[in-house]
Amino acid sequence: MNIENVSVNRRNILRGAVAAAVLIPFSTTLASCAAGGGGGGGGGAKGEVSADNPFGLATDTKIDAVVFDGGYGTDYAEFAAKILEKNHEGVTAKVSASTQIGQELQPRFVGGNPPDLVDNSGAGNIGFNTILDQLEDLTDVIDANNLEGDKIRDTLYGGVMEPGTFGDKFAALNYVMTIYGLWYSKSLFDENGWEAPTTWADLKDLGAKAKEQDKYLFLWGKEAATYYQTLAIGSAIKQGGDEVRLALENLEDGCWSKPAVQDVFNAMKEIIDAGYIKPGGSGTQFTQAQSQWSLDQSAILYPSGSWIENEMKDQTKDGFDMVGIPEPSVDGNGKMPAEAIHSEAGEPFIVPSQGKNVAGGKELLRVMLSKESATNFAKEKLAPPIVSGVVPEDGFGSTALVSQTNMLDAAGENVFTFRFVNLYGMNQDQLPIWNSFLDGKMSVGDLTKKLQGLTDNIRNDDSVDKIEVK
Amino acid sequence: MGPSGSLIQKAPRRRRRKLTFDYVSFMAVFLGLPLAIFLIFVISPFAQAVYYSLTDWTGFSPEMNFIGIDNYVKLFQNSTFITSMGNNILLAIIVPLVTLSIALLFATLITVGGPSHGQVRGLGASSFYRVVSFFPYVIPAIVIGILWAQIYTPSGLLNGILTSLGIDSAEGFAWLGDERTAIWATIFVIVWGFVGFYMVLFIAAIKGIPAETFEAVRIDGAGRFRTAISITIPLIRDNIQTAYIYVGIMALDAFVYMAALNPFGGPSNTTLVMSQYLFRTAFTKGQFGQASAMGVVLAVITLLFAAAVFTVNRLTGGKDDGGRS
Repeated sequence: MNIENVSVNRRNILRGAVAAAVLIPFSTTLASCAAGGGGGGGGGAKGEVSADNPFGLATDTKIDAVVFDGGYGTDYAEFAAKILEKNHEGVTAKVSASTQIGQELQPRFVGGNPPDLVDNSGAGNIGFNTILDQLEDLTDVIDANNLEGDKIRDTLYGGVMEPGTFGDKFAALNYVMTIYGLWYSKSLFDENGWEAPTTWADLKDLGAKAKEQDKYLFLWGKEAATYYQTLAIGSAIKQGGDEVRLALENLEDGCWSKPAVQDVFNAMKEIIDAGYIKPGGSGTQFTQAQSQWSLDQSAILYPSGSWIENEMKDQTKDGFDMVGIPEPSVDGNGKMPAEAIHSEAGEPFIVPSQGKNVAGGKELLRVMLSKESATNFAKEKLAPPIVSGVVPEDGFGSTALVSQTNMLDAAGENVFTFRFVNLYGMNQDQLPIWNSFLDGKMSVGDLTKKLQGLTDNIRNDDSVDKIEVK
Repeated sequence: MGPSGSLIQKAPRRRRRKLTFDYVSFMAVFLGLPLAIFLIFVISPFAQAVYYSLTDWTGFSPEMNFIGIDNYVKLFQNSTFITSMGNNILLAIIVPLVTLSIALLFATLITVGGPSHGQVRGLGASSFYRVVSFFPYVIPAIVIGILWAQIYTPSGLLNGILTSLGIDSAEGFAWLGDERTAIWATIFVIVWGFVGFYMVLFIAAIKGIPAETFEAVRIDGAGRFRTAISITIPLIRDNIQTAYIYVGIMALDAFVYMAALNPFGGPSNTTLVMSQYLFRTAFTKGQFGQASAMGVVLAVITLLFAAAVFTVNRLTGGKDDGGRS
């Protein structure tokens, strides 16, 4: 360790300079080879196109699918892969699980050998604005017939195309319906004679009633503070309609200052200041916080997506009877009816154009969208896939699933969603802001200013590709 | 960290050696091969990172355009990055100082801090303390992080202990969720995890000092504190310097602890570190060029830190005090 004994003199400096000069061309050649991708892929062998094989999947080929291993696992995709192998002689479909899609597939996208089908989901997903031009348009999958011979497009719920449409390209097929709303225990509400809230005023009254029972209205966990942002935006869109939605989606100047958004923020602030939110959420791990709602019932409502039932399955009190209701509107005179829901299909499946077996990727999707696979998914995961009519009356014994199907039916065409948070990877930057706001440490003015700052930064950053939402 | 070896001796003028097969093959295997591995796996990725940091590469397509130093300009206009850099610098200043002070204190107590009669020895039961304080280092960092995250939760063990002691303000206090405490709670965890290892390192170094030295000091009438300041620290100076650089590099990274304690940067980004932000920029925002620029900045800061430690060591007389190499 006697580095200090190495004398620094002219000769050593010259040596270093020479070495550096030798390295420069060496490094640039290397740099150019790391990112320079091989060609490869691009369709692969073509087979006979027929009614049973609309995409011309060639015999004796391999299909390589990578599925995000999250709340829904990967077995539903394997189920479909087995059916596909039965239908196509000699084709093998391999489903691999991954919890970090972006990290694991990044080298494959750069190298030009991506999988044939990817479920681009989870916290580590790939931002769509970075790979959009490398994806197949999936309109032909929707227009194909399913295995039962019905046109797939006619079997789907409304509004399932929008989340996967970027500009004018239908690049991602989202497989699972996710409904955002407020979730509560029906048995607890019935026991106390509480009504499900439909406006923010109702929420505040409910907070007072919960206080009487020594319970809180809401609680939150640090990694999931932005669930309250989702709730706020959903409410504001119900109140202000498309004007609010498009302003936020297109990162407009002053979009967070729209009256509808401000009304919701102020209503939230009142609830926070009244002490109806369980304190300490910014230091609590989110699953732990959620179990305080589903197991200890120290709070009575939780804003989340419909994955919540599956996520908390092992930590839910017996006889909890979880049900969901749409996000409340500000005062009931909004541009959208009270039944309108914030719902979007989630788990975006994509077929990279560079894949070795594009037809195989599409064929696997077609099998997944058929009745047998879709029913299997609903039954195993207690979540509705985008294929309608596969959930029976009793929802396989799940109250939450029944309430989701009811919400979807009641909403009809009044379904909206927003995507700017995921599109531009904003969630992690927004988390600290929402943690502070829910902690009561931030005024509505500060909250608005900080959120607007993030939005403005992205809007003014030329290196980020913007996707215009109409 | 090169091998130690003093280069002070003036080598006599060498005649050119004959290039025998033995000589050449020896050179190739023992010099050429390691050098090649080093160039391929250390230097070249770094050079590539520097190159990527000058492009607008998204990371998911082979296309990239050369944009010069735009990424760096953008980086230093990015307030979030500046915040994370500040947090890293705070960690690099505090963590090594606190960790090594405590480690040195414990090491001294265990080796020479014992009774002042008879031979120089440590406290009673010192072997027990040695084993116990090494425990945290054996547990993987991620486990330590998760463990402490549970202890710190508002309804967790720490608040339970504090409220039972009658401190009511600790009821439901979010240690990792409050801007005033989040970074300090994190620093405590990192220190807790590392003290044991460096204590053992210093014990080994102190054991290398001849016992006669300590006996002589004691006969001269020096107390324990004076012994530590005037004898122990100067004699294990090199070990302290190495340890300082190691802990510093760890603190400049700190990714694992942060990922377990506050995965998203903590309250108002008070615990966000550069490595976390780099990762987010690369994999969720798809801006590999920008992320590479962050990596280069992080590397430069690390090198500056190491240089600063060497300089301070030298300025405080590290060379003449005859630190053992």
